[in-house]
Amino acid sequence: MEVQFEPVSRVAGALSLHATLDPGGHASDATAMATTFRGYEVLLRQRDVRDAIFISSRACGVCGGAHALCSALALEMTFEVRPPHFGIAIRNVLAAIDNLVDHPVALFLRAGPDYSEPVVRATNPELWARAERTPAPGVAIHGLKRISDIMAGLTRFTGSLSREALVMSRTAREAYVVIGGKYPHPQTIVPGGISSTIDPSDLSLVLLRVTKFLDYSRKAAAIWDDLTEFFYEADGRYHEVGAAPANFLDLGLWDDPEVYDATFEHSATWGEARWSTPGAILDGQLQTTQLPLIDSGVEEFVDRSFYEDWVGQGEPVVTEDPNGNRLSARHPWNKHTLPKPGHPERHGKCTWSTAPRWKGAAMETGPGARLWITAAAEKLVNRGFMEPSGRGLRFGMPQAALPESEIEWHIPETWNAFERNRARAYSLVQSTLVAYENILFAFDLARIGDAESGVFSHYSIPKEHVIGVGFWGGARGYISHHVEVKGRVIENYQIVSPTTFVAARDGSGTPAPLERAVMATPVLSTQGRERHIDVMRAIRSFDPCMSCSTH
Amino acid sequence: MAYDVRGYGALDDQPAGIVHVFWLSGMSCDGCSVAMLGAANPSLEDLVLDRVPDLPLFAIHHPMISEESGQELTAAYAAAADGSLGAPDLLVREGSIADDQALTAGHLATLGTGADLPRGGRASRSDTQPARVTDWVIAMAPRAAATIAIGTCATWGGIPAAAGNVTGSMGLMDFLGAGYRSARGIAVINVPGCAPQGDNFTETLIAVVRYLTGSRDLPPFDELGRPGWLFDQTVHRHCPKAGYYEEGVFSEEPGDNQCLVEIGCWGPVVQCNIVERGAINHMGGCMVAGGACIGCTMPGFPDKYSPFYKAPPGSAISGGVSKVTGGGIRRLRRMSMRNANSEPIWDRAGEAGPTGWGLAHGTRNPLETVNAHFYKKLQYHGSVHHGERNKKQPQPKSMDILRQKGIDLDASTDVLQEHLIRREEL
Repeated sequence: MEVQFEPVSRVAGALSLHATLDPGGHASDATAMATTFRGYEVLLRQRDVRDAIFISSRACGVCGGAHALCSALALEMTFEVRPPHFGIAIRNVLAAIDNLVDHPVALFLRAGPDYSEPVVRATNPELWARAERTPAPGVAIHGLKRISDIMAGLTRFTGSLSREALVMSRTAREAYVVIGGKYPHPQTIVPGGISSTIDPSDLSLVLLRVTKFLDYSRKAAAIWDDLTEFFYEADGRYHEVGAAPANFLDLGLWDDPEVYDATFEHSATWGEARWSTPGAILDGQLQTTQLPLIDSGVEEFVDRSFYEDWVGQGEPVVTEDPNGNRLSARHPWNKHTLPKPGHPERHGKCTWSTAPRWKGAAMETGPGARLWITAAAEKLVNRGFMEPSGRGLRFGMPQAALPESEIEWHIPETWNAFERNRARAYSLVQSTLVAYENILFAFDLARIGDAESGVFSHYSIPKEHVIGVGFWGGARGYISHHVEVKGRVIENYQIVSPTTFVAARDGSGTPAPLERAVMATPVLSTQGRERHIDVMRAIRSFDPCMSCSTH
Repeated sequence: MAYDVRGYGALDDQPAGIVHVFWLSGMSCDGCSVAMLGAANPSLEDLVLDRVPDLPLFAIHHPMISEESGQELTAAYAAAADGSLGAPDLLVREGSIADDQALTAGHLATLGTGADLPRGGRASRSDTQPARVTDWVIAMAPRAAATIAIGTCATWGGIPAAAGNVTGSMGLMDFLGAGYRSARGIAVINVPGCAPQGDNFTETLIAVVRYLTGSRDLPPFDELGRPGWLFDQTVHRHCPKAGYYEEGVFSEEPGDNQCLVEIGCWGPVVQCNIVERGAINHMGGCMVAGGACIGCTMPGFPDKYSPFYKAPPGSAISGGVSKVTGGGIRRLRRMSMRNANSEPIWDRAGEAGPTGWGLAHGTRNPLETVNAHFYKKLQYHGSVHHGERNKKQPQPKSMDILRQKGIDLDASTDVLQEHLIRREEL
């Protein structure tokens, strides 16, 4: 039987899923389709390079701030300018707060309702009965006595957790706009730093709001710990919901102000110095943590996408990166965006998303990738509130309303929908602590008051033919902007965003991670099977962002 | 069919009043939806949980937040389009309108499939093709009680309609035509911004709903369908940095705290309220935080405001004038301020004041003394001259009490001097 979810709701942007179900209702085949196209990469060509940040970032209103910062990094490489330390720290704060706005909504408004009382009652009454008699281990942190109380809290809009997420997301927005001016689409990101006027009151307003997340992020982590363990114990097959191999790609996030220098040549060094470590993991094995090696392995395919292939139409522009690594004609620096709308064919061209691959492999992006790589790489040194523990990441939580404590995210044994959500909750913890540490660092720099305590460094725009790249990440992970500039005008601009990696097939026909996760999902609902609740849990655990994905 | 609102929050005791809001996104970045989630006055919860007494319950159908997927989601859209919904509905359009009605095959933005569209309707597409969002606009806009375009893409076209675009994008008014009226006789309402301030949208939404339910008049809109009370001012008029412009003081680089015009701010000619309202809960706002206005609420954005970070040509004239006149005004104000920051009790003592922070007024030159004399005379003219009265006021006996009692303190001021902002720096 064929089913179509056109559209899949409670994801960002326009996503459709077509699936072939076997008689038991399990999806033996699944095709994800991105169903909108606006042409940002096309529009960016032949524009003044100064417009790049504010145009490219508007490709996505969910991750706009992350794209703005990524674009600034790409321009800084082409302009050969790096911001002062204070400017970098403030950007880190901004990027971390972006996750504090987005993760609560993803966890409790987009994914959360799939685990809520009305849904669980309707799809698995026996689970609801079990939840009613199962105490919640994290009650001391989140205050909810039973698992059924958590599920009631997750009820869309009426549940306490659902409403709290909206309020906390707004609290984070307040902090964000003090630095960024507005949300989404901050107005203060410039090459060479940030145009924000930061005074002691701004730092204090931001700090006080981030402080609230010291408690709230722990609460979110405890809730998703409790939910995850409850489902695992109720039925071991929940390990298979949304299961996918441990193939992860991430570019890292949050620059060390004293190491980042905006050059490609030193990008392996400043990349590894980030608060979250860049890296590639294949089948659970760490391949590299060096940004140039990650980047040179990336190729984009359009076999199943509504684009003409550019390969063969002219010579590649960048055959080697500045470090001498060979680049394929399918590398973003060589890609051209040639849209060609057509009638969607399920097994042919059917999506506006391209299919980026790393060394040919379909990779997963997101908070899970960010935590896993950072934990496995063990590159973090001298960070105030987090360290790799050998089996995960340990976080030192300063005292706020809750007492000081240590919590730990563990590299999971199986990778699935529950672990993606749990990782997102721990990413909230990580982002909170990064914001906190960078605010403290900013206070220190402001006190010193030297040349590094400004927000902006002067630059001049070269007239020559130059290339640059921004390596960055958003709430969903991996974001790169590759730019080619000639005579101060953009010659080519290529965006690769996290969901682009997970939501489309390449020419080999190998399912994309999101499709594979759907196909791995067993049918576990005992009632209301037409809701395909576990398939929806699998999809939403990726927190897909189709706006970014298609641009 | 009266659409079932269960799952929208109110299960048992359905209120009598309900209004449906159908969100049609396409060619958007979802930023307007994200802005709407951030609105606080009213918030999304206020509306869907029926928390505001004079408003109906809002059933918001939105792919990003709705419970249902696929046809379960689009069925309500179809019911609105064919008139079987049984309750009034508003259409909210986010994103540019793609020129995809002209495509024989393919799409640029979709919602559901052709089979989801109402039977025998005006929108045409085969059942097996995805339904274009533009199909839904054609099917739903004529029957909607009101149609609101949210964000600069839906209002004017925005970035997808900028030079070099290959999608033929346009704003909703261009697509529907100037003759468009909703079922209740309202032309397209435009709430621009990239992204819009969230409250600007929800406040407009409830204003329109209050009109539709008969509890209030329709508030004023401008000639482009913008809520008049939100967009009738330039953003510069309420800008906290506008006072710098008045005194002819300008930021030279990003991060400077003065007027941002010379680093590329278009605020003096852009209609927007973000510095007055803040981005959320009166916090932030572009120029408040130090961001130069790039005209994101305006028709013609982005091309008419490009290149960003370059001073608008008009600023050379108006900024030049303000440097001359404003510079003069600034000097006069600083002169007046020599008399400021001083209590009459300090004036009588002939001292700078009891501050350990180092306030040193110094002595006025004769011109300043004459100035101050006439200034005060003019100020108190026709009223009571408190300056003269204060001269006769006796000094309190317990002034400088610690010294009177012989209590010794370390009088070092080194630490304080490092943290001093001097008056000349104003």
